[in-house]
Amino acid sequence: MATSWRQHLYHLLLWLIALAFFAPVLWIFLGAFKTAGQLVSWPPRWVTFSPTFDNIREVFARENFWSYFRMSFVLSIGSVLIALVVSFLAAYCFSRYKPTGTNFLMFLLLSVRMVPAPAVVVPVFLMYTAFGWARTFTGMLLFYVMFSIPFSLWILKGFLDGVSLRYDETALVNGGSRLHVIFRVVLPQVKPGLVAAAIFNLIFVWNEFLFNYVLGGEATMIPVLLAVGVNSGGSVDWSFIASLSLIYTLPPIIAIFLFQKYLLVGMTFGTVRGEV
Amino acid sequence: MADIRVEGLRKEFKDVVALDDVTFAFADSQVTCLLGPSGCGKTTLMRIIAGLERPTGGEVYFGDQRVTHLPPRKRNIGMVFQYPVVYRGISVAENIELPLKSEKLSKQERAQRVEEVVHLLGLGASVDKDITQLDNGTRQKVAVARAVARQPRIILFDEPITNVDAEAKLQLKRAFKELTRRLEQTIVYVTHDQTEAMTLADQIALMNEGRIAQCDAPRALYNRPADRFGGWFLGNPGMDFFDAELGPGDGTGRGGATLASPLFGAPLRVGGLPPGAGRTVTVGIRPEHVRVAPAAGADGRGPLAVEGELLRKSISIGRQYLLGLRVGDRTFKAKVAPAVGEALPASGPVLVELPLNRVALFGTDGRRLDATLTPAGAGLPVAAGTA
Repeated sequence: MATSWRQHLYHLLLWLIALAFFAPVLWIFLGAFKTAGQLVSWPPRWVTFSPTFDNIREVFARENFWSYFRMSFVLSIGSVLIALVVSFLAAYCFSRYKPTGTNFLMFLLLSVRMVPAPAVVVPVFLMYTAFGWARTFTGMLLFYVMFSIPFSLWILKGFLDGVSLRYDETALVNGGSRLHVIFRVVLPQVKPGLVAAAIFNLIFVWNEFLFNYVLGGEATMIPVLLAVGVNSGGSVDWSFIASLSLIYTLPPIIAIFLFQKYLLVGMTFGTVRGEV
Repeated sequence: MADIRVEGLRKEFKDVVALDDVTFAFADSQVTCLLGPSGCGKTTLMRIIAGLERPTGGEVYFGDQRVTHLPPRKRNIGMVFQYPVVYRGISVAENIELPLKSEKLSKQERAQRVEEVVHLLGLGASVDKDITQLDNGTRQKVAVARAVARQPRIILFDEPITNVDAEAKLQLKRAFKELTRRLEQTIVYVTHDQTEAMTLADQIALMNEGRIAQCDAPRALYNRPADRFGGWFLGNPGMDFFDAELGPGDGTGRGGATLASPLFGAPLRVGGLPPGAGRTVTVGIRPEHVRVAPAAGADGRGPLAVEGELLRKSISIGRQYLLGLRVGDRTFKAKVAPAVGEALPASGPVLVELPLNRVALFGTDGRRLDATLTPAGAGLPVAAGTA
């Protein structure tokens, strides 16, 4: 009995913490359905307002909104797909041929993502300007490819290490070429890893703002949407921010909901697998 | 189809020599078992034959074709590994058919080949099942079926039944025996399990420390091990060994030497010793060949029987008895039939006899000496270890 009583308390605590963290998100979501006055009124109105869809309708109606929104998808999905191809092949190499310094290289790649973004944004910007890549779509796409590779590589290498070398060897002996081995024998077995890596990086790229703002500029247009929208008539347009947040948060939320089990295997880097 | 020859094959991993100048031929259309303890180089040898490892030196030939530098896929071989390699998410039949798809075969022919091997391995009941529904033993059968269905000229097995449970092991062993009897390919089968090798092999190549110590038919290998290693490694338990000093010839003019040991009831004459053999020899006998009788029933006591002490007695596979014996200051093992074992006391004095035709002599280098043993003063010599 004591354990069950404790367990209930524990669950209650977890719920409270979760709600505390979710409250701001909920607040901004609710804000999307309020008028500007209701949004900033005091005391705050959690439920006592009549919901309106005007804000959202207004965002949709904005000039170029759909092309901006599409650009978000193109950038995220495009860069993640390229990153997956590159990192799958790299992970195969690291996992099977184990070139000298594999561990160090793997660490080095991940360390790219350990550095806080504001620390590198200026050097990257200077580099991009020097190469003439700043404010280009390709430059931005490649930046996100680079941004996605380390994590994908780590996840995929974990999964590939879990696929016994005997699969490769059996296929080779049975008359398959190396490419056949990579794409027809090994690839199908790491599909969960590919999905996990894709989802993780889609979310990362989708959420990335700073580099897009600094490097992409008008070329990718997403920050422009924000910059133009946030200031309206000398004050901050909170209704706009709330509606846009809602619209932009929904895709990752749906993705996470649909692929949550892959996110879990992704977080363990796929390493918890026995030899087959 | 094709025999496999390796010539002067050498493989080094950093500072370990896995294969030490191996020259050997795997007979065409026969099952050759590579048998040896872990780390003796048997798997390395097989992987070089498959093309999965490059030798440090030496050549591999399939028939007349030199294949040393061919990639595995161009060697036309089939291989089965220790862990069943099967593809998830597709049925058993699809698993077997998969490698056939890259060959120029008609759909009917593919189906026919699949059906053949399915029948051959008794997989009929699981053809349409998904791989995940099968146990390890059946999965391994599928892996074997896939290797066989391609009809390669050589099939390599790398300890294929090590990782299945005991029940499935027996079943697989039987299936393999049936299969290998029907196949005409040259088959190399790596194992560290001697009963497996004894059951399946036409000939066994015994490996030790990167070399092939001996290659012979299973029975011959068991009866006439070429060196101490063969005597020790084969058999369960392995041979008993005793060191002995040879005495000078007995002066009858027939040459040779004499062997006097507390293990034999009478001095022995050793004939046919190769020139240059040392005076120190090792006497070896398989535990199952040692004759043991209760000390009381001394009737029918052989002339060579000696008195010994039974230290312990335990029952073993097939109700045979495993005995710990002591004669003089030497302790050794014996294995006797159920009836004999039951008649023995739990411990105490017994009569022990080492039949001369079962005794083998080994030189100081561990090689077997082709010598004959006879009771001194008796007539016809008995060749050591002829049974």
